[in-house]
Amino acid sequence: MLSIETLRQYGADVEEGLTRCFQNEQFYLRLVKMILEEPNFAALKSKLEEKDLKGAFEAAHGLKGVCANLALTPLCKPVNEITELLRAETEMDYAPLLEQILNGKEELRKLIEE
Amino acid sequence: MTQLHPAADYRRKVLIVEDEAINRLMLGNIVSRDYEVLYAQNGQEGLDIMKENASGLSLVLLDLLMPVLDGFSVLKIMHEDERLRQIPTVVLTSEGDAEVDSIRLGAMDFIKKPYNNPEVILARIQRIIELFEDRKLIRNVEYDQTGLLTREFFLEYMRQMDEREKADRDLIAVRIENFSLVNEIYGREEGDHILATLADSLRHFLTVHPGIAGHEDAGRFYLYCTHLEDPNELQMIAEELKKLEEIPRVRLRFGIYPVTEQEDADLENRLNSAVFACDSLQESASENIALYDHKVHEEQVLAERLISDMDRALEEKEFLVFLQPKFNVENDKPLIAGAEALVRWKHHDLGMVSPGTFIPLFEKNGLVHPLDLYMLEECARIVSGWWKEYGTKIPVSINLSRIDFYDADLKKKLDDVLAKYGLEKPDIHLEVTESAYTDDNLIVERIREMQEAGYVIEMDDFGAGFSSLNMLSSMPIDYLKLDLKFARTVDTDEKQYHVVECIADFSRYLNVSIIAEGVENREQYEALKKAGCAYVQGYYLDRPLNEEDFLKYIRKEEEEC
Repeated sequence: MLSIETLRQYGADVEEGLTRCFQNEQFYLRLVKMILEEPNFAALKSKLEEKDLKGAFEAAHGLKGVCANLALTPLCKPVNEITELLRAETEMDYAPLLEQILNGKEELRKLIEE
Repeated sequence: MTQLHPAADYRRKVLIVEDEAINRLMLGNIVSRDYEVLYAQNGQEGLDIMKENASGLSLVLLDLLMPVLDGFSVLKIMHEDERLRQIPTVVLTSEGDAEVDSIRLGAMDFIKKPYNNPEVILARIQRIIELFEDRKLIRNVEYDQTGLLTREFFLEYMRQMDEREKADRDLIAVRIENFSLVNEIYGREEGDHILATLADSLRHFLTVHPGIAGHEDAGRFYLYCTHLEDPNELQMIAEELKKLEEIPRVRLRFGIYPVTEQEDADLENRLNSAVFACDSLQESASENIALYDHKVHEEQVLAERLISDMDRALEEKEFLVFLQPKFNVENDKPLIAGAEALVRWKHHDLGMVSPGTFIPLFEKNGLVHPLDLYMLEECARIVSGWWKEYGTKIPVSINLSRIDFYDADLKKKLDDVLAKYGLEKPDIHLEVTESAYTDDNLIVERIREMQEAGYVIEMDDFGAGFSSLNMLSSMPIDYLKLDLKFARTVDTDEKQYHVVECIADFSRYLNVSIIAEGVENREQYEALKKAGCAYVQGYYLDRPLNEEDFLKYIRKEEEEC
């Protein structure tokens, strides 16, 4: 079950996240759980497959704001990286970065659903 | 944390426009501590909510990258919309470069993602709302509903213009003639439309003659602008108003106070002088521009002097009652029948001041009311003196002004004075000018109350304005005093003679007696008598007399009794 402690172990900066939620743990955890319904993970994947870098950037950018606000540090790093690359419309293989991001999400899913 | 203006203990509304649900809820949770929060998921939804709640929104928190309609487009649309432009907007961003663009489009500030400490966010929101509300408050005081400066700010900007650069300028007072009447006849909405049109035309005038424009009360405006070589350039303002077809007779008057580089009068005085010049134009005058020159200055100085000396003059009894004898001419020999009380001012310093100078002045500012009451008391004293001394009395008529009838205690004041001097109501006749009857129904009702209580009512200046014979039948009147113009031509103009004859016939039928005033010679006297006037007053029979000289009539009455 998701808790402040398991989130901390996951690598989230829970102090920062809680500060943004006026220290309301329940509220913070509720928001973290909502990341599973975040549509931008799927959008990022499909736009990259379509080689739509602009569309992929918008999805990455959306994820970046959400992950940063929730202080999900392990996700923030690859999401920030891919956002900047897509902003510059860098032609490259995005598969490894995308995998890192989707793995990070999967890890969270396990934490939440366990 | 400090509070926003204490006057507002309601919760202000903040709209969050953000497509990311998590961000929306997180920010909403922060903001809802101090504000009521509305949410929109994209720019279009945000705009719809803004349009519905425009005046009720204190702030919009706007994300930039959103589906359907992004934040930049929302800012653009808001910027172009008069109402939406008034709502302060803070952009939610993680992009450094977007900040400059947002500022250009009118955003007030930024909140960065990831969100800062919530207390910092709330403090920034509060500061921006405060700034905006203060600005609005100041704007509301600075400008009135016409979008022109209020008097205070007009004076302040005048001062600033002079400070920045000394130059020859004109201070111009503009007045819409009889604006209250326009409002009454055409309605408030039409009145506001005229004010807005005039404000526009003043703004247009300022594009040619740079300066500032202000609006004081209903029909009064001001301009302070570069000196006009030809004052008639002001006519372009009047021309603009003539385009208002539905209101054919809106007339403007202008009073110009020229301000030179050497000007040393203070701002208020300059403004008053421009107003005085403007008001010095008589309603009937064909010209509509008056320059504040030496002559107007002298008039203004005298007017101010008379106004400030009024109280003292009442106390020192400088106002003298003159009695214009009124004769019954139904028989061969004219018989004294009464008198009209006329006021003269024997000023302690200026000598005799003509009522033509001070009456219009006092009518304008309401000082005529205490003067009328003073005359009432003086006349009551005189009539009662005759009774006590000679055992005889004849009625004296006093003039009441429009403003007297707005004194709800008028009747009681009249009753009290009569009681104090032991007089009956018919001893003091009340003269009310014809135009007062047509001004206001309230006045007519008050006159009716007086008549029903036993006072004798004389309608003065009949035929000078818009009254009709028809109205005589429904108005409270005992005597009808013909306007001076009838006496002047009745002996030479046959038509005029027949008009008088007709009025006299009709009045006889209504049991109203006719009084002709201003009779100066035998021909006029004979013609009026023949036409059916029962009473006559004027220099031909006698001039206005002071209290002592009038006694000759009282003594004669006494002898005949």
